Amino acid sequence: MDSPSAVVLAGGEGSRLRPLTRHRPKPLLPAATTPILEHVFDQLLEAGVTEITVVVGYGRNRVQAYFGPTYRNVPLTYVTQEQQLGSGHALLAAESEIEGTALVVNGDQIVEHGIISDVLEAHDRSSAATVGLLNRTDVASYGGVLVEDGSVTEIVENPEDERTYRFNAGVYAFEREIFDAIRDAEPRAGEQSLTDGITELLESDASVRGVVSEGLWVDSTYPWDLLDVSFDLFEAGIVDGTQAANVASSATIHERAVVREPVVIAPDCEIGAGAVVGPYACLGENVTVGSNAVVERSVVDADTRVGASATVMDCVTGVGVEIGNGTSIPGGPGDVRVGDRVFEDEDLGALLADRVIDRGGNTYVPGAIVGPEADIEAGATVRGTISEGTEVRS
Amino acid sequence: MCGIIGYTGTGGGVLDVLMTGLSGLEYRGYDSAGVAVANASLSVHKRQGEVSALEDALPDGDLDGLAGIGHTRWSTHGPPSDANAHPHTDCEDQVAVVHNGIIENYQELRGDLEASGHDFASETDTEVIPHLIESALSEGADREEAFREAVHQLEGSYAVAAVFDGNETVYAARNESPLVLGLGEDGHYLASDVPAFIEFTDQVVYLEDGQFARVNPSGIVVTDAQGAVVETAVETIEWDPEDAGKSGYDHYMLKEIHEQPTAIRKCLRERVNELEGSVGVEELSELECDGPVQFVACGTSYHAALYGARLLRERGIRAQCFLASEYDVGMVPVSSDTLVVGVTQSGETADTMSALRAANRSGATTLALTNVVGSSAARECDHVMYIRAGPEIGVAATKTFASQQVALAMLSSVLSEESSMEFVERLRDLPDQIQQVLDGSQARGVAEAYEDSDAYFFIGRGYNAPVALEGALKMKEITYKHAEGFAAGELKHGPLALVTEKTPVFAMLTGSDISKTLGNVKEVEARSAPVVAVTDSPDTVSRYVDHVLEVPSAGSRFTPILANIQLQLVSYWVANRMGRSIDKPRNLAKSVTVE
Repeated sequence: MDSPSAVVLAGGEGSRLRPLTRHRPKPLLPAATTPILEHVFDQLLEAGVTEITVVVGYGRNRVQAYFGPTYRNVPLTYVTQEQQLGSGHALLAAESEIEGTALVVNGDQIVEHGIISDVLEAHDRSSAATVGLLNRTDVASYGGVLVEDGSVTEIVENPEDERTYRFNAGVYAFEREIFDAIRDAEPRAGEQSLTDGITELLESDASVRGVVSEGLWVDSTYPWDLLDVSFDLFEAGIVDGTQAANVASSATIHERAVVREPVVIAPDCEIGAGAVVGPYACLGENVTVGSNAVVERSVVDADTRVGASATVMDCVTGVGVEIGNGTSIPGGPGDVRVGDRVFEDEDLGALLADRVIDRGGNTYVPGAIVGPEADIEAGATVRGTISEGTEVRS
Repeated sequence: MCGIIGYTGTGGGVLDVLMTGLSGLEYRGYDSAGVAVANASLSVHKRQGEVSALEDALPDGDLDGLAGIGHTRWSTHGPPSDANAHPHTDCEDQVAVVHNGIIENYQELRGDLEASGHDFASETDTEVIPHLIESALSEGADREEAFREAVHQLEGSYAVAAVFDGNETVYAARNESPLVLGLGEDGHYLASDVPAFIEFTDQVVYLEDGQFARVNPSGIVVTDAQGAVVETAVETIEWDPEDAGKSGYDHYMLKEIHEQPTAIRKCLRERVNELEGSVGVEELSELECDGPVQFVACGTSYHAALYGARLLRERGIRAQCFLASEYDVGMVPVSSDTLVVGVTQSGETADTMSALRAANRSGATTLALTNVVGSSAARECDHVMYIRAGPEIGVAATKTFASQQVALAMLSSVLSEESSMEFVERLRDLPDQIQQVLDGSQARGVAEAYEDSDAYFFIGRGYNAPVALEGALKMKEITYKHAEGFAAGELKHGPLALVTEKTPVFAMLTGSDISKTLGNVKEVEARSAPVVAVTDSPDTVSRYVDHVLEVPSAGSRFTPILANIQLQLVSYWVANRMGRSIDKPRNLAKSVTVE
């Protein structure tokens, strides 16, 4: 395919990432310091894509304001999916923007460009679809595909049987037949999915190809996964963690601060005397790290302020968080409770959602999740889950 | 205020370049539009209305040529009509002319020309120019001599361009109206503003007052008033042309409202240091000012200037604010230690430029606070501070107001040499706090509730008073409804007579003045008017008002910046529900380059 155009599905909230998705969708959450969606665009451009249609919905103002009309000189066309009724439904929203073959990827999962290029190369227009595949063992958490001689015979979401599935990378090349197939497939629980559309293609004897690739494929299912995803990007070289590459020129770093690689320090950050930032620290735009504070193995989102002498380890913050002077988030494994489920021994020092105010001198027990705009008075021990807007008194 | 474009090149496509240019200039006026293309004869097409009306009126098939000029008009002399649209031609259709500005002596010139037998087709001041050229041609002058002779007779402001039949050259001249030349690969451009041709080239030369340009496919020659060739500097424009896309928003105005967090980040970048508590603006490192400060500005920029003057006074600097059109150096004392600050988004606003030029002549130090690099204000003032808001296309100013406010806050710190960690912390908090307002605003619901009102009033005191004025201006501009802003205490001294149950009152209740303004709220409630509070203290005020639009607290100086965001959204949603032409309100233009 020559200069292909891509459709990026970025309309869903990603509700398992709550409370970080209170004001913005999962594609705008940070991987290292930039939105997941920005990495998705980078990989598409790397694969030679010259036009991108972005399906937006939940929090669309934020997506459109962040990226504007172009990304690295590639024009972005936004189409709105008013209600989020499945990945197939999302693709239908882009139907009028698509001429010829469409390359379709998810806006909330980062797929290395080689996987995308392999799909583009393998696709020929006599097939209705080509699906990118990986050899991974976690098919049950995502989707599985059965392939015979390069032809897809079955595509299943969250397969639990013992057949030898390939992992569905969520990278597709589609011909226009897909639109009718999505419409013809019976919705499940009111939702139209891409996999049901592909199943419909298979049932109509259309040719669906599968191509097995290798490369990085990362997804944040839960908020603490943002840490591993960011660190994976360092390891894979997708984010260059050297100071020369990724400390913004507009950042101000005190000569007596210590910066340890890998690290990303976005524009307008300020780092005070005696502070230690990194390794594995990702500071978003306009973050302040006070004197003698320590930030390590953490993703600190834009406009957050880490107070003097605070310790921040294994921590994920939203935007505009205030971590007070002397607060300690020592990190290490802890049990995280999400609804009725308990995730044991997750490495999460704390998750502080957008605009949490911590007034200093607090201690966080690993696994703590604090909802947006919660206000934690000085001297508290914070554990468990604290909901949005709660005032915590010591 | 009008926009002009000219093009000559070897690659053909003259009409396409002109039409693209006019679309890029439409923000400067859209009462009428027209083009002239030079071949063996001149083809002139013009229509009342927006550029799309001209597009519909163009003949089918090729209209290519050697060179061409185009114009989009904002009426000054003569109402919008096909006849008054530019380009204008002479009696014999040998020359076509487009013009931005005002010819002050046109009545006299027209009288002389009519007396010597010239027939005029329009009521415009511009039409004298082609007839003057014709008259010089008939006396034996060549084209360039005729053009220069005609321009030398003009008094007033102008950016003017002309093409002749059978000729590939575009002739141009400027005096007190903007004109920029563009150097492309296959041809050369001229325009009132860079967006007109940025799609084709980013290499530009700014023409200075009194200069002439001869634009040929092979090159550009700039000369001074006497005809001597002038060396010019070629500059590279760093704007991304795609910045002019709506990126999925229904209107540029809504896009620009949502761009405010980013605009403020750029405004502050490398100018503040929180851990040191310092503010430093590189462009102003040479600025020294111990004397009084006078602000001159118009419209939204005037409201920003009112806000800025108060910031300076709070820091002990004598600061006054003047409407640029009312500024008179003879009436206010201006001396060599006075700093005159012109606040102008475009850097071309004629009223502001005129005030700044008067200040320059009277020996004051001048400072331009502007968004446009290379603009007249930036070039003519002694100092310039850029607000870095990026291009603003919507005629109603939004993000540039916020950026002006933040830039003025930094200026207040630079001039007073006072700053603190807290002050800088407040500034650096603004991008996220604006985002918070945008994320949670209930303005759309308030707009729906009060869409059918007779009028809208806005009140605020202190730093909120200019915001009340700005809120009312925004409402007027894009909804065409009656709206007024008052210092809160003034309401009872007259305007209260206008207040009824059909006139909602928007009260800015932030910072330390809440209790006094609440007193004014009770005055209007006694007259049954609905009240919308824009406040950082909902718990205190909600029981007194009908609706609350909440903003985070940013201190008494900066919370009004956040309150204004809510008012922008209310106006936007009222105008949206009324189906108004939000990005191009009737009778208005983005930057007004006539006095």
